Amino acid sequence: MSALGDALAEVSQTARRLSQLSRRTYQNPYILFEWPDAVEPERDWFSTPEYVSLYGTPVWAGLAEPARHRVAFHEAAGFYSLNIHGEKSLMQGLAARLYRGDLVDVADYLHHFLDEENKHSVYFGGFCTRYARVHRTRQASFGTDRSHDIDDFLFFARTLIFEEIVDHYNRVQARDQRLHPLARFINDNHHREEARHLVFGRCLVTALWTACAPTWSQSVKDEIRDDLHQFVTNCWREYYHPDVYADARLDDPWELAEVAWSAPAQKAHRRMVSAGCQRFLLAAGILVEEWTDAF
Amino acid sequence: MRSEAEIRTRLRSFVRRRAGDRPVSDSTPLLADRILRSVHVPELILLLERLRGAPIDVERLRPGDFDSIDAIVERFGPAS
Repeated sequence: MSALGDALAEVSQTARRLSQLSRRTYQNPYILFEWPDAVEPERDWFSTPEYVSLYGTPVWAGLAEPARHRVAFHEAAGFYSLNIHGEKSLMQGLAARLYRGDLVDVADYLHHFLDEENKHSVYFGGFCTRYARVHRTRQASFGTDRSHDIDDFLFFARTLIFEEIVDHYNRVQARDQRLHPLARFINDNHHREEARHLVFGRCLVTALWTACAPTWSQSVKDEIRDDLHQFVTNCWREYYHPDVYADARLDDPWELAEVAWSAPAQKAHRRMVSAGCQRFLLAAGILVEEWTDAF
Repeated sequence: MRSEAEIRTRLRSFVRRRAGDRPVSDSTPLLADRILRSVHVPELILLLERLRGAPIDVERLRPGDFDSIDAIVERFGPAS
């Protein structure tokens, strides 16, 4: 059995409980919500203003209220787009592991995981294609020659980091009464299902690390840690999307992305949002130092 | 679009930051020598987009595009 198989056997009880919850809350994304014919990007809030990537910068301070709404609307499309791309990679990884010889015992929960990620993308894609557009990603993969164990660990650890950051935004925006009901619904719905995925992710990543780390050389562990450091930076960079700024009719979008990324208020924001995930990875011994490059 | 000299300078700085104490020239095979890995590509693309002032279509990328600083400049530089 692989390290992933051993780790999954260890978390099988959790997986069974989460599968039951998934069945109980099974939903049809095509009938759960009625899409409005049109939205008003300059009148309604579609993102929490304090979570807009320009918040705390001189550019944000200089924008009139309708322009701030417009930026927040396109940031919502950017946020949903990065979710679409993240979930696409996640679905590919889950599908590749479905019914793999050493993973047959957890196929039941992997089915739910895959099914729920697909449904989330229906909502995200529905918003973007109806009212804005799906923004491109810069995440590119050229494959690796790493062993199964390393690939499995990195896949689930990256998934966890990506989902923990996204879930923080979902929780805040689901509760924000200033937001348009559609934006609150999409964030709330995603949060409810992601909560299960995060429980599974934390159990599995811990079990995988415990099973594999003693067998990995120091250089392998160093490279894994370096990958995770770079990955969290990549995740956060997607929140500062030049195409989003261009759609919001802001000048010089690449320079603006760099200005926003470097703004002290934004660095503090990234540190605050990442704190829970970083604390978990440090406590598990997976990280040995903070993600300074991302902050 | 910045000049080729400026793009090379910024690329060398990006690569050296990740190379540690390994020597790097403009022809060093970056991916084959694992100086850069897939996980470094998104930030590299963002840097190149800023220097070009134009987007890069990720769906049309090939691994060879990032073989070396020379290859990157040829693929994404002023003459591309």
